[in-house]
Amino acid sequence: MHDVILFEQVNFRYPDEDKWILNDFSFSVQKGSKLVLTGPSGCGKTTLLYLCNRLYPDNCDGVLTGNIKLFGKECSSFIPGEINHRIATVFQDPDAQFCMQTVEEELAFTLENLHVKREEMDKRITEVLALTNLSEFRYSIIQQLSGGQKQQIATACALIMEPEVLLLDEPIAHLDPYTAKKYVQWLNLLQKKRQMTIVAIEHRLDLWGDFFDRNISLNKSDIAFPIPQRLTSMQLDTSFEVTKVETKTFLKPTSFSLQRGEIAILAGPNGSGKSTLLKALCQLIPNSGVVEPAFLGYVPQSPEFLFLTKAVQDEVTYGGGYDVDNLMDRLKLVEIAGSHPFSISHGQKRRVAIAAMLCDGREVILMDEPTSGQDAAALYELFQLIDERARAGTTFLIVTHDMEFAYRLADSILLMEGGSLTGKFPAADVWENEQLLLDHHLLPPKGLMRHEKSFA
Amino acid sequence: MRSLLHRMNPSVKFLLITVCMFTMAFFFDPWTPLIFCVGVLLLQVLFSQVDWKKWTLFMIPFFITAFGYFWTTLVFAKESSGPIIWSIGSVGVTEIQLDHALSLSFRVLAFSSLSMLFALTTNPVTFILSLMQQLKLSPKIAYGILVGFQFLPVIKDEFIQIQQAQRLRGMFQKKNALQRLLASRLVLIPLLAGAVRKAERSAFAMEARGFTGEPRSSFFRVITVGKVDALLVALFLFVLVLSCTNTFWLS
Repeated sequence: MHDVILFEQVNFRYPDEDKWILNDFSFSVQKGSKLVLTGPSGCGKTTLLYLCNRLYPDNCDGVLTGNIKLFGKECSSFIPGEINHRIATVFQDPDAQFCMQTVEEELAFTLENLHVKREEMDKRITEVLALTNLSEFRYSIIQQLSGGQKQQIATACALIMEPEVLLLDEPIAHLDPYTAKKYVQWLNLLQKKRQMTIVAIEHRLDLWGDFFDRNISLNKSDIAFPIPQRLTSMQLDTSFEVTKVETKTFLKPTSFSLQRGEIAILAGPNGSGKSTLLKALCQLIPNSGVVEPAFLGYVPQSPEFLFLTKAVQDEVTYGGGYDVDNLMDRLKLVEIAGSHPFSISHGQKRRVAIAAMLCDGREVILMDEPTSGQDAAALYELFQLIDERARAGTTFLIVTHDMEFAYRLADSILLMEGGSLTGKFPAADVWENEQLLLDHHLLPPKGLMRHEKSFA
Repeated sequence: MRSLLHRMNPSVKFLLITVCMFTMAFFFDPWTPLIFCVGVLLLQVLFSQVDWKKWTLFMIPFFITAFGYFWTTLVFAKESSGPIIWSIGSVGVTEIQLDHALSLSFRVLAFSSLSMLFALTTNPVTFILSLMQQLKLSPKIAYGILVGFQFLPVIKDEFIQIQQAQRLRGMFQKKNALQRLLASRLVLIPLLAGAVRKAERSAFAMEARGFTGEPRSSFFRVITVGKVDALLVALFLFVLVLSCTNTFWLS
């Protein structure tokens, strides 16, 4: 077996940074192997992947030294576009990798790029759709498909080039656990049919089972971030009471209550109405029903949507400014008080958003998908932040697909399905009830399974 | 019959309309644009399935503009000699003034009805594909525009989300239009920051699929030029010539 990708003592850095993001890095990928690259955000996984498909260094003017060989040839000897159909890529964001309206046109776009003759196109489109079991979507409009379907279409678009290597950049980061698992099974079958080499980036390996045969960790510091099992900080008094909230079209009447310091996870399949419920609770969309208190904190998936001012300090004090100094200190924002809210890291943005909400005197915080696309270190930081705030008496309602995270954190679980709340359950009961989990496209967390094994 | 204009090759239609507009620009009497405008409407009635309610709505601003031209030319015209044929209050209108005024307003109507014909009978995606195939538009630009189309609904969703999030922070909708315009600046910053990131991701995705921006050797969806186009070009030119020669057969 020969090496399809070979890196020899590769150094790489971006033009405007002094730090080498890849330092004296060597690795090789054998034909037919299934390899996964893991490591925290910013460790160079994506950079490495982009070096393999030749998007870098040309697209970022990066500085590259050392030797990269693809299929035994010097990588710079390929003409632009030549390598892309032998090494195909599926990206992370299901919304930003298509340029045509329908699935058929999108596949044809790929074939046109490869200068395939028009007479052959139809045959190849039919073939790849049959191979991937996606024939029914041939004339579908891509933007109307679900996230999981979009990732399958993106994979089909990569496969139609008949590549020898498939690169995957966190393909399941935006999918619910059940859909993600289905995608992995589907990919596994495809790999068996086509015998491709697969190189993937992933920081949550639990959903992949034993798909990969090799794991390369780019973790430089080797600090593990095991999230501990949290002890509850629930207090006896009720702090959040929702009665018969509903919207005209989608959300069915919903009632529940949370206690002070309680951390509740809201889970369910993609498109089950979790975000709609959060928005209805915050009165962002018209609805009927009573929410007590009405003054809620809300942190969207992109916290920067909230920002209105030019400095972190102003941002935090914008809405009222209650207990500002203490909270700035507790949430470690003092040293960045003068920075522009758009220039800080993602984790810092979220801390600013939470600080701003708390300083407004909002004691219940709703968070929309704070875990998606986060690495272990970021999750650990998020865990600590929520835990610390809950101890201080803040109540949380968090939407997430990440059941490992939910398992460590949650006091209770709210499950949603098709626009209605199935119910509120104590966390421990949900993890045991596999049928309930499956009905809501969830999978039992691995932490629990390990736990059970140790008792067996 | 009624789908002919929709089936017409967009590039041919585009060129034809450009030619018509340029020709119209050289006629300064009121009758040429009026006859042409009526001709265009007639063609549109006969050969298209335009939603006339939508057409009327889109045309309202143009009607207002046309009337504005008419009125201002009459009232603020340069002093011109000649018999007064019509008087509005203290303003006397001479024949030359009326001619100028009508000419300007009919021009607005002729140009706008022509543009409306193009806009309402052309699919934007087909137009771009046709520009690329018939007029050799660079694929880099063409696919850039097509990707932009795909993003419009996403951008709209994000705009609403940002507005909602900011409303939660206590940014209430301002009553004053100017204030509202200034406030939308705050929505634009996060929106653009996100758009730049999305644009880069899309560009990478396209490149990873082998897109180099070079001309393509074959197309999956071929946009053809055919008999329909010849027929419609002939009809349009007939209307154009007819309206331009009105001095010979009208007087």
